[in-house]
Amino acid sequence: MKFFGLKNFFHHLFIPKEENNFRSKLLHLDFLSFYLLLALIFTFLFKTTPLYNILGYATDITIQKLYELTNKEREKYNLPPLNYNEKLSLAAYQKALDMFNKNYWAHFGPNGETPWQFILNAGYEYEYAGENLAKNFLFSENVIAAWMDSKTHRENILRKDYTDIGFAVVNGTLNGEPTTLVVQMFGRPSSINLSKKLTETQQVFASEKKETNKKTIASSTPQVLAKKEKNRAVAATKFLFNFNLGFIGLLMLTLILDFYFAAKMGVLKLRLTGKNFAHFIFLGFIVIGLFIISRGAIL
Amino acid sequence: MINHIKKEIKKHAFDYLLLFTCGVFFLLALNLFRGERLLEFIVLLIFVSFYIVWGVYHHIITNNFHFKIVLEYVMIGFILLFLLKIIILP
Repeated sequence: MKFFGLKNFFHHLFIPKEENNFRSKLLHLDFLSFYLLLALIFTFLFKTTPLYNILGYATDITIQKLYELTNKEREKYNLPPLNYNEKLSLAAYQKALDMFNKNYWAHFGPNGETPWQFILNAGYEYEYAGENLAKNFLFSENVIAAWMDSKTHRENILRKDYTDIGFAVVNGTLNGEPTTLVVQMFGRPSSINLSKKLTETQQVFASEKKETNKKTIASSTPQVLAKKEKNRAVAATKFLFNFNLGFIGLLMLTLILDFYFAAKMGVLKLRLTGKNFAHFIFLGFIVIGLFIISRGAIL
Repeated sequence: MINHIKKEIKKHAFDYLLLFTCGVFFLLALNLFRGERLLEFIVLLIFVSFYIVWGVYHHIITNNFHFKIVLEYVMIGFILLFLLKIIILP
């Protein structure tokens, strides 16, 4: 009995019949008004929610993922993995901040700032160095794929001379637009610097070890909190993207079912509705557009 | 169903060609302005507006123009505009 009730309910939603005035209920104006209201609520909800205001913008990009994917690409070409370097990450972060502060999107700043300046200022003395830039991507995978599709960026990722890598993913306003910048810095420390570093490390190692326990206890709580909040933001972006895809998919499926059964019943010309085929074409272009939007620009 | 679609395209070849061409231009423009969020949104807004105008025009020339139909095109257009806006301009 219950099964039949559910079956009728889905028939009412998807299939045109007398009870729904020969038009799938999901395509009725009252339902369309409900979707519009839902879309408006989503717009305002995600604008006012702390997920965006505190943690940034609609993006699923994480340094961890970028690092893993970069090394995965190198692995494919039998190249050694790059070591994550805090100094290069600091340089990348400073470069992103500089682009936001001076309102530019380029490897070289308006006052002649070079990427190498940021690397040296971060205390990384290099023998080889490189930089890849990306902006307004939604997912880490797309960033790496776009770099790998570009000859010069791919060369940077697959260069044998590099041993270290650093990343920064920074949100801000560029040219009046909310922007997510990704900066990837590559480097190989100069050999003089390396020998110096070795002796320094040996000296510092003993004293650092004593303080490790204290530091771990002090810093563990905020780190965990930050990680949780970041995960919430990432989940929100994925949710939004998948929700949009799912919703458009549902609309397209309803349009097909409605058109098919209405044609079968011969009621297509009797109904006072929009053209399902035209709606379907429109939605198709929007879906492809959604995928293009998820890919930003590289430099 | 396929026959109905074929008939519809044959009958209104110009209308559907226009819709398809504008759709292709929409995708090309999005690709051209990749990473420029404001421009991407403007391109989306133009395409949605075009679609509503196309719907009105198409139903006027097919002699079944009605306010309910206009509302259907407006609603579908704006639902997608708002949903994509969350991603383009959060």
